[in-house]
Amino acid sequence: MWPKIRMALFRRLCLMESWVIFFILGLIMMDFPFITIFDKPVTIFDIPLLYLYLQAGWLISIFVIYLFVKANIFVKTNNLNKDTGQNEGEQR
Amino acid sequence: MLSVEIVIGVSLLYIALLFSVAYYAERKQEKGESIIANPYVYSLSIAVYATSWTFYGSVGKAATTGLDFLLIYLGPSLTAFSWWYLLRKIVRIAKENNITSIADFISSRYGKSQWLGALVTVIALLGIMPYIALQLKAVSTTFDIICNYPTIQLPFMHGQAPLTGHTAFISAFILSVFGVIFGARHLVSSERHEGLVAAIAVESIVKLASFLIVGIFITYFLFNGISDIFVRMKANPALLYQLTTFGRTNAVSYANWFTLLYISMGAIMFLPRQFHILVIENSAEEHIKDAMWRFPIYMFLINLFVVPIALGGILYTGSSSGADYFVLTLPLKSGHPWLALIAFLGGFSAAAGMVMVESVAVSTMFLNHLVMPVIVKLKPRAWFSILLINLKRFGIFLVVFLGYLYHRIVGETYMLVNIGLISFAAAAQFGPSLIGGIYWRKGNKKGAISGIFLGFLLWFYTLLLPSVVEAGWWQTDIMVRGPFGIGFLKPTALFGLTGFDIWTHSLFWSMFFNIGGYLACSIILQQDEKEMEQVRKFVDIFAPPQEEAPWEAKRLSKPITIMQFVNLMSKFIGESQAHSAISEYLGESEIDERGGVSEFELPNLKRFTEKTLAASVGAAAAGAIVESYLSDIGSKMEPVYDIYSKVRADLTESSENLYVRLRASEIMAGTKDLQAIMDELLDLLRREFKFDLTIIRLRNDEGILTRRSYQGEELRSIIERSVQPEINTYIGEAFLANKPQFVNDTQHILKPESKELMEREGITSFAHIPIAREGEPPLGVLSVFSKSIVGLFTQPFIALLTSLAGQLAQAVKIDSEMKAKEKAELENVRVARDMEIAQQIQLSLLPATPPDLTGAEFACRCLPATHVGGDYYDFFRRGKNVVDIVIADVSGHSVGAALIMAETRSVLRAEVYAAGSAGKILANLNRLLYEDLTRAELFITMFYAKYNADTRQLIYANAGHNPPMIYPGEKASCRELDADGLILGVKQDVIFEERNIQLNRGDMVLFYTDGITEAQNDRGELFGAERLCGILAEGYQGTPETIIETILRKVVIHSGGASLEDDISMVVMKVD
Repeated sequence: MWPKIRMALFRRLCLMESWVIFFILGLIMMDFPFITIFDKPVTIFDIPLLYLYLQAGWLISIFVIYLFVKANIFVKTNNLNKDTGQNEGEQR
Repeated sequence: MLSVEIVIGVSLLYIALLFSVAYYAERKQEKGESIIANPYVYSLSIAVYATSWTFYGSVGKAATTGLDFLLIYLGPSLTAFSWWYLLRKIVRIAKENNITSIADFISSRYGKSQWLGALVTVIALLGIMPYIALQLKAVSTTFDIICNYPTIQLPFMHGQAPLTGHTAFISAFILSVFGVIFGARHLVSSERHEGLVAAIAVESIVKLASFLIVGIFITYFLFNGISDIFVRMKANPALLYQLTTFGRTNAVSYANWFTLLYISMGAIMFLPRQFHILVIENSAEEHIKDAMWRFPIYMFLINLFVVPIALGGILYTGSSSGADYFVLTLPLKSGHPWLALIAFLGGFSAAAGMVMVESVAVSTMFLNHLVMPVIVKLKPRAWFSILLINLKRFGIFLVVFLGYLYHRIVGETYMLVNIGLISFAAAAQFGPSLIGGIYWRKGNKKGAISGIFLGFLLWFYTLLLPSVVEAGWWQTDIMVRGPFGIGFLKPTALFGLTGFDIWTHSLFWSMFFNIGGYLACSIILQQDEKEMEQVRKFVDIFAPPQEEAPWEAKRLSKPITIMQFVNLMSKFIGESQAHSAISEYLGESEIDERGGVSEFELPNLKRFTEKTLAASVGAAAAGAIVESYLSDIGSKMEPVYDIYSKVRADLTESSENLYVRLRASEIMAGTKDLQAIMDELLDLLRREFKFDLTIIRLRNDEGILTRRSYQGEELRSIIERSVQPEINTYIGEAFLANKPQFVNDTQHILKPESKELMEREGITSFAHIPIAREGEPPLGVLSVFSKSIVGLFTQPFIALLTSLAGQLAQAVKIDSEMKAKEKAELENVRVARDMEIAQQIQLSLLPATPPDLTGAEFACRCLPATHVGGDYYDFFRRGKNVVDIVIADVSGHSVGAALIMAETRSVLRAEVYAAGSAGKILANLNRLLYEDLTRAELFITMFYAKYNADTRQLIYANAGHNPPMIYPGEKASCRELDADGLILGVKQDVIFEERNIQLNRGDMVLFYTDGITEAQNDRGELFGAERLCGILAEGYQGTPETIIETILRKVVIHSGGASLEDDISMVVMKVD
């Protein structure tokens, strides 16, 4: 079950569209007005909310990039990218 | 407490470590190994982004304005998302085009514009000034702090702040020397510096480690962890929430937030040093993948303790003043000077790394885009390479000392981060043209220049100028009242835009004009041809290569040799580099018989030379160098005359090409008349391709090329020329080498004889195409001449002409074969007719009727196997009752045999009456004919008999002939008449035996040639003498004539109706 899901997930992650979506998502989450959600004088576990949000969000975004990269490598090494339309230049 | 000596000593040790790392990396590089070609080093080297701004300034910002410092690092993390597409594309383009810097990249994209390259360089030089100043300020201040901190308590130790005035200068000097050592020890043909990158990677480790150590110390030793710091800060909730939220001034803060995010997203790519490390020093595209998440992790880690240190500093010192140097001062204040030294080294690392890469990157731009355009105007000289490397070193010093100058001017007015942001805003000006350049085809040079220039102007006016003014360096009220009192133009509130921080204000206006100018000019104005070529190389870098133009569309007006290119390259990149580059290039291209490359290859060679030079002087300068060199020797790149000017088909062939091929095929198929084919083909070529004259010359039997057809102008001296194919004419060479020869511009013609002729007739270009079938020697030459068009003959055009000439060769061949066949047929008919005549003559040489002799009855017949034969018989009357009978057979059945037979007859006729006896006649005949027979290698067998009807005596002699047969009547058997004697023509003197036989009435004598007895049936059985004898026995009562008929019939039956293999002759005599 898991390998199937993983493969499906990785194939989607190799689409250029996925990259663009996450890039834009990142921009939105970093910008007004989304950021105002966390712009509050509140502390969680003694740590200010905005600071916590930024640090956690940062780590998550790094993990997402990591997933993308792994997906790219995985799909490439398993040569599954025939129907994903993965970028043009690869096969040069 | 640390002495100056210890700080300097440790710093020197650290510098030595860096240098040995760099040295080791370069040694390895020379051996062909690379210690930096891995994703770890690549990711670490990108961390050159974290400078002393990060190291000291982040804490300062966190302690004064709060969390917005994080955006400087969150932005790049976000940008990293795009790297696999954006950065990889840039890297690929840079590699394919030997790009050396961001200025080179932008100017290359827009038609290798020198102006654009120079503009970007100037912006980089000025834009980077504050950033360098920041590093100098950080290094000198921290040095003073770490050395002088005790002087607050112990002023006597070092006198009155002994170094303060000079530390910045000394730092600038040391960092410049660093830049030279790591980046400009020698001129290389590629701008990759393994040593530099290795040192940067080490520095990245050092600065991260030292920051983490200090962070852990402050967080966990001065305080009880992060939560503890926040809890303590809660005692002053207003300050805490001011620093950890946007505060209450929403709109402006959000705008600032927004600005910082985008400005840093751009900076990670467009700062000259980031571009250098990310793109130029990239050793494999795959490394980008790893760097995409490793670099953000680095950023995350180095910022992990910024807030704890900042808040801790505020708590520890009681205020945020001097927060920029908390990293250093907290360990000092808490009495840990060694920790402070570690922090100092980390900060020094951060600053040194940045200055090194930045100065090397910008000095490369300085050299290639500001100095080179001047240098290329000069004649290349051998010492250029020495000059260039020293200019590059000068560039490094220039970059650093411009920073120093700015530091002196602005000094302490701004905080570290704010100085750095000025540079970020400058780098952002490259963004629109760079990103637009690789994704938007329409973006053009004028758009890029106007966009970048306007953006730069706005940046200068709204950001750099205020920073200088605020430093009090220039006493003016421009900031308050605007220039000349025009408030509308106030630098910090341009066009009345107020309410924003200066960064947002500046970024808004500079980007507005930058993007606006770029888009407007790109849409309104046109790209030139050179730009379009570059657009393909940039925008379509990932497109499959076959989309490139299928053939060369450029030519050099005057051919250049390989050595000339090599010499040119040597002057800029050194001799050995030039030679190794050219040999690598030639490995993959064709070289013609004269050791040069073909004319079609020259534009490629020129581009290769440019590309090779580009790796060391930048594309724009390289282009200019080659162009000016070519113009010096009177050559230039020019478009070929596009013969297929109308519609270009999608396939590799143009529609014109296909049309001409089709028409040519129709002409060839339409008629068998070679002259008509040649005329029509020439006419077709002349009309379709605007030739002034077209000629076909074919090789005649003497080997001379003679004109067979021409169309066009009556240029007598060309048309009338019949050419002996020799190597000193183009046409001769085309014919002898079986290879098309063409001259695209008769001004640069090499063969004197042709030159004179072409000048006389005013020909500007011509080509000679050998008329030859594939793999066969040529039959002639197809020549085409143009009076008006230079550069007519392109590779595909020559290929088309060659193919047409091949078709023509086929037609010529077919024509000559047909003619040969017709001739042979005529010949056959003639020979056959001659042979018939010869046969008739020969038959007429034989007696028409046998002699009428009383006492004997005769019959005779000859059937030649072919038209003429070698058989012969004759009768000679000797008085009333005597007759001589002769039968002979010349060996062979050829005309030769017939001729010899005729000769024999003549000689015999003369001899018969001279000599008397049969033996004597044969002997004489032999002597007379011997020589002729020997010469003709023929022989004659002959039987000669004399019959006297009165006495019925037969006297005979035999020269090797098959003996005649006598059938003496009923129930008897056949007898043969034989006598000794040699065949005629074997020996000169032969004596022939004469014999004599008494015949009786009714005897039948048969004289015959061996054609009868040797006739074969299909089983190979001979007719034989026995059968012959049988016929005589059966028919001896009949007439001689019936005997002959019977014999012939039986022979024909025996041989199964097949034609006779040998002549058949016989004479039958019946004694009455």
